Amino acid sequence: MRLRLPSFAILVTLSFVHPTIAGAQNAAGAAIPRTADGKPDLSGIWQAMNTAAWDIQDHAAQKGVPGGPGVIEGNEIPYRPEALAQKKKNYEQRATLDPEIKCYLPGVPRITYMPYPFQIIQKPNELTILYEYVHTVRYIFENGTPHPKGPIEWWLGDSRGRWEGDTLVVDVVHFNDQTWFDRAGNFHSDALHVVERYSLTDPDHINYTVTIEDPKVFTRPWNMNMVLYRHKEKNFQLYEYECYGFDFEKIYPYPDLGAAR
Amino acid sequence: MRTNNLIVAFGIGAALLLTTVPLRGQGEGGAPNRAAAPKPWPPQKLSDGQPDVQGVWAAVNAGSTSLTNPISGGEDFDRRVSGQNIRRPSRVIDPPDGLLPYQPWAAARQKQQESDYEHPTKPEHIDTQHRCLLSGIPRLYTIVPSFRIIQIPGSIVFVWDEYHAYRVIPLDGRPHIASNVKLWMGDARGRWEGNTLVVDTTNMRGARLTYIGDFNSENAHVTERMTFVDADNMTYQATVDDPTVFTRPWTFRISQKRRPDDETWESACWEGNPDPDVWLKK
Repeated sequence: MRLRLPSFAILVTLSFVHPTIAGAQNAAGAAIPRTADGKPDLSGIWQAMNTAAWDIQDHAAQKGVPGGPGVIEGNEIPYRPEALAQKKKNYEQRATLDPEIKCYLPGVPRITYMPYPFQIIQKPNELTILYEYVHTVRYIFENGTPHPKGPIEWWLGDSRGRWEGDTLVVDVVHFNDQTWFDRAGNFHSDALHVVERYSLTDPDHINYTVTIEDPKVFTRPWNMNMVLYRHKEKNFQLYEYECYGFDFEKIYPYPDLGAAR
Repeated sequence: MRTNNLIVAFGIGAALLLTTVPLRGQGEGGAPNRAAAPKPWPPQKLSDGQPDVQGVWAAVNAGSTSLTNPISGGEDFDRRVSGQNIRRPSRVIDPPDGLLPYQPWAAARQKQQESDYEHPTKPEHIDTQHRCLLSGIPRLYTIVPSFRIIQIPGSIVFVWDEYHAYRVIPLDGRPHIASNVKLWMGDARGRWEGNTLVVDTTNMRGARLTYIGDFNSENAHVTERMTFVDADNMTYQATVDDPTVFTRPWTFRISQKRRPDDETWESACWEGNPDPDVWLKK
């Protein structure tokens, strides 16, 4: 039996219940790191440890695809009928249609759960996130300014953050319609509105919740939830995944001048 | 013939301008443009003892045309139209003649690559910048668009507007990564000597240094000295030690200036880049 709630009820639930849960976990776990201004300190190198990059819904393994539970609350994506048909078409032709194949910036939140680490750099009015995947950079402005006036179509959208208690809430708009949510063809339009919530549950785990809203594609908002894990290895650092660079390695730069020549 | 070359060079330049010039906040709802706020000098010390040099910086007299005759893109265009030779002082401060100390075979290769850039017939004749590939170190400190310095305990971070390139430089004395790993940005380790950031970069890939075909091999070892001389000025100096290509280490210098601390907006390059191979001559 699946509960069906009107969208406003879900939003209310999110706003009230979620911080409470995070708070309870904080109390139970170790003290979380804090910056000089008392905010939770999200700085560090993090990575998702799930299979959402392949499919954000529950899915069995296929060759080259690890199976696993999805990251969607309730597992259902409330597609409009015509959008569901598009999703099925995307899935069937995913080997050629997925924008990841072209190495484009993967959009938000997909960049978060790509199978590569990322580094959060926290400053009082600005959060910078450096991702290993195609050296993606996001700036999350927390200086109280609103989104720039649109229409703007960006790959990663425009991110404005604010703290609600110990949760960083990031509002992201101004997307294009060129990115997907995963390799299974789940997609959105340029009307996408993303709200991310980052909350430390202990020093080494971030509870990451995302609300997806896109009235052109979905009948109601829906939520993802996952845990981001801190990399604890000694001297861990980001390397590079220069996705579109691989195709040029045979001509650039100077493959004939290597030490192994 | 000359006209054709001009069109090729200008066409690639224009295509780049159209697709890769990053946006900055223009005050339409985002943060308004701000003048560079006055910064204290001597710089404040951060919690880990680093001098605070954070903010937006960019090279003065920047450009990728040449290290030994670093004319701007505009001057390069004028030169091509007028046929007049335009000279700028070499950025190379060592050797004293201001020239790159190539081994004979490498000097010949640079000349060939300069010619290939003017008359591109193969995909590898297109400069890596025009494909949105990371230019790496030290070339990124010579390009026109700005970069942002962010300091966190134990590290200093550089993020470029163009190509959304970045490098995180640990300052904790940790060893370099395994030598078989080659990175487009190299592997950097830094330390502060007073107000000078000294960076040691290894694990390099072979790279182009200019449009006129200057290059280094993956055996290059780069030592950078970024000297913050006052609140708004930094002298960037890089010594390239690459015995595969050069007869001796060489050093170039380029001034950097603080810029307004505007918001950095998305700079997608690869996603909208027209295929530069259309400029290849058949």
